[in-house]
Amino acid sequence: MFGFKSAASRSSFLLKNNSTKNLLLKANSNSLRHFTIPFLPTLPQNPGGVKGSVNDNLPKTKIDKFHASYHWNFEKVLAVGLIPLVSMSLMNGGSISTFIDLGLSYTLLMHCYVGFQSCITDYIPKRVYGTWHNKAMYALTFGTLLSIIGIYDMNFNQKNSGSVGLTTKLWGAKSEKSEEKA
Amino acid sequence: MFMLKNPILSSIKTQRTSSRLFTTNKRLLQSPAKGQEILVKQRAVRPISPHLTIYEPQITWYLSSVHRVSGVILGALFFGVSIGYGINKLYDFGLNDDSLVEFYKNKVPTWLDYTAKGSVAYLFAFHFANGIRHLVWDMGKGFSLKGIYVGGYSVLGVCAVAGTYLFSKGF
Amino acid sequence: MSVLSLASKRITSFNTPARVLISKRFESVAKPANFKTFKIYRWNPDTPEVKPKMQEYKVDMNNCGGMVLDALIKIKDEQDGTLTFRRSCREGICGSCAMNIDGRNTLACLCKIDAEKANTVKIYPLPHTHVVKDLVPDLTQFYKQYKSIQPYLQRKEYPKDGTEILQSVEDRKKLDGLYECILCACCSTSCPSYWWNAEEYMGPAVLMQAYRWMIDSRDEAFGKRKEMLQNSMSVYRCHTILNCTKTCPKGLNPGKAIAEIKKFLAAD
Repeated sequence: MFGFKSAASRSSFLLKNNSTKNLLLKANSNSLRHFTIPFLPTLPQNPGGVKGSVNDNLPKTKIDKFHASYHWNFEKVLAVGLIPLVSMSLMNGGSISTFIDLGLSYTLLMHCYVGFQSCITDYIPKRVYGTWHNKAMYALTFGTLLSIIGIYDMNFNQKNSGSVGLTTKLWGAKSEKSEEKA
Repeated sequence: MFMLKNPILSSIKTQRTSSRLFTTNKRLLQSPAKGQEILVKQRAVRPISPHLTIYEPQITWYLSSVHRVSGVILGALFFGVSIGYGINKLYDFGLNDDSLVEFYKNKVPTWLDYTAKGSVAYLFAFHFANGIRHLVWDMGKGFSLKGIYVGGYSVLGVCAVAGTYLFSKGF
Repeated sequence: MSVLSLASKRITSFNTPARVLISKRFESVAKPANFKTFKIYRWNPDTPEVKPKMQEYKVDMNNCGGMVLDALIKIKDEQDGTLTFRRSCREGICGSCAMNIDGRNTLACLCKIDAEKANTVKIYPLPHTHVVKDLVPDLTQFYKQYKSIQPYLQRKEYPKDGTEILQSVEDRKKLDGLYECILCACCSTSCPSYWWNAEEYMGPAVLMQAYRWMIDSRDEAFGKRKEMLQNSMSVYRCHTILNCTKTCPKGLNPGKAIAEIKKFLAAD
C-alpha cells in the first residue's frame, strides 16, 4: 500500500545545486525515506521536518471543534451505542426487527464514516497531499451517501431482509463450487 | 561577521591570530542568514532513522495496528455491500439478498469461503473486544502497565474463543 | 584511625604500582575475556552520499561499566573517536542519551547491558527522527512543540509582597507523575502516530506537559490551553496506542495524561 519517496526529492526545491541533489537522490534513496502512497502526488516538504530557524514559533492552530472534540465525542457515542445493538443481534441469532436493524446499520455506517475520516487524517494529511486530502474526504462522503440509500433498500425492499438478515444468510451459505467439481 | 564585532572576541582574535577556531568560524558564521541557509541544506540531507522495522514487537502497538486494520477491512466490506445495494437502487442490476447468496454459493471457491469467514469472524471478535478496551481507556481508566497488559491478553483470549465460535457457525 | 585518614590511605594505596600490578595480573589470569558485540547505527553528515550503516564493536565486559552508556563511552574512548552520541549526567536526569536500544526507546545511562540475553546489543537513534549524526537526532521540532504549549505559569495577578503563590497539598499532589518528565523524547519517538505526523501532532511528551499546566491550581490560562488543542491534529492523532507509557524510562504515564486532556476537551 505504501511507497517510498526520498526526503531529498521532496525537499529538493530548496537544494539549488542540482549536482548535489542528484548525488543525494542516487545514494540515499533507500535511507532517506518517508512512507507515502505511491499513486498520489505529494507537496514539497520542509527539509528535516522543520520550518524556519530554531527560534521561530510553530504556526498558531485554529479552533475547529467539529474536527476535534465533537468528532471524538461522536465517535464515542456511536461506539457505545453499537455495543447493545450488536450484542442483541448476535444473541438473537440474526433475527431482529427491521427497526433495530435500521438503527444498527445506520449507527454502524456512521461508525465506519468517522473511523475512515480518522484514517484519512492520519495517512493522507493535507500537509503532505494537499487537495488529495479533501478529495479522499469527498469520496468517503459520496460513498456514505450511496450506503445510506443502500441500507434503506436493504431494509424496505421486500426481496431483502436488512444487513443483519443478509449477514445471517451469507454466514449460513456454504460455498458449493468445489463440491460440484468433485 | 557579527561574531567578530564583539570587542572582547576581537581582542582575543588579535592575540591568537593562528587559532583554528576563528579561521573556521569566520567562514561559517558570516551572518545568521548564512548560518540558516547552511542549516537548511544540512536538514535536507539528513536520513530518517529506522522505525517500524526496528521497534520491538510489543502488545501495545501490535494490538493497536490490528484494531485499525480490522476496522478498515470490516468497514470496507460493509461499505462495499451497502454501496452495491445503493447503486442497485439507482440503476437496477438485479442485486438482492437471494442473488447475492446464490452468487456466494456458486461462484466463490471453498478456500475463499473459509478465508473470508475466518477473517471476518476473528477480526470482528477482536475489534469488538478491543473496542470495549478502548472505551475503558477513554474513561481514563486502565492505564497502568499492568492494566494495559491484562487488557491486551484478555482481548486476545476473547478473540480466540468468540472468533472460533462465530467461525464454526459458518459451516 | 579516623574515617578520613582511612579513605585517604585507600586512595594512596590504590595508586601504588604494586596494586596496579596485582590487579592487572588478576585480570589476565582469573577472568577470561567476556566480549559483547555492539551494533551501532552510523551516519556521517560530512559524507551524506554514504548510506547509514550498522557498525560492530566488541567490548570486553570485564573492564566495562554495567550500563549501555558506559560501553558507548568506552568505545568512543578506546576504539572509535568518531562515534557520536549525546550524554551528560549519566544518571537519568538530563535526558540527553535517549536512544533506541534493542528495539525500545530508553536512556542509555539507565539501560543495563543484559548479561544473559543474546550477545549482540543493537543501538539506533530515536525512531523516525532526522539524524544529525550517528545517534544524535534533530529534536528541533520537539522543542518547538514544547514551546508552543506555553510551559510556564500564566495568571493575571501575583502576590503583591512578591512571595510565592500558595497551593494546597492536594493540588500539589496532582503534579506528581507529571513534573518529573525530563523531555528525553523517548515516548514521543516511540509513537507511530508521531512518526507519521510529527509536524502537526504534539506527541505524548509535550501533551503530558500541556496537561501538567492545565491542572496546575496556580495557573489561570486553562481556557486558552484547551483552545490551543481544539483541532484535528494537536491531540486527536493519539489513538491510545500506549507505546509511550510502555517505554517511558522514568516510569511516567503520558497515555493517561492525554486521556485526561481528551476528557477536558470533551466537556468543552
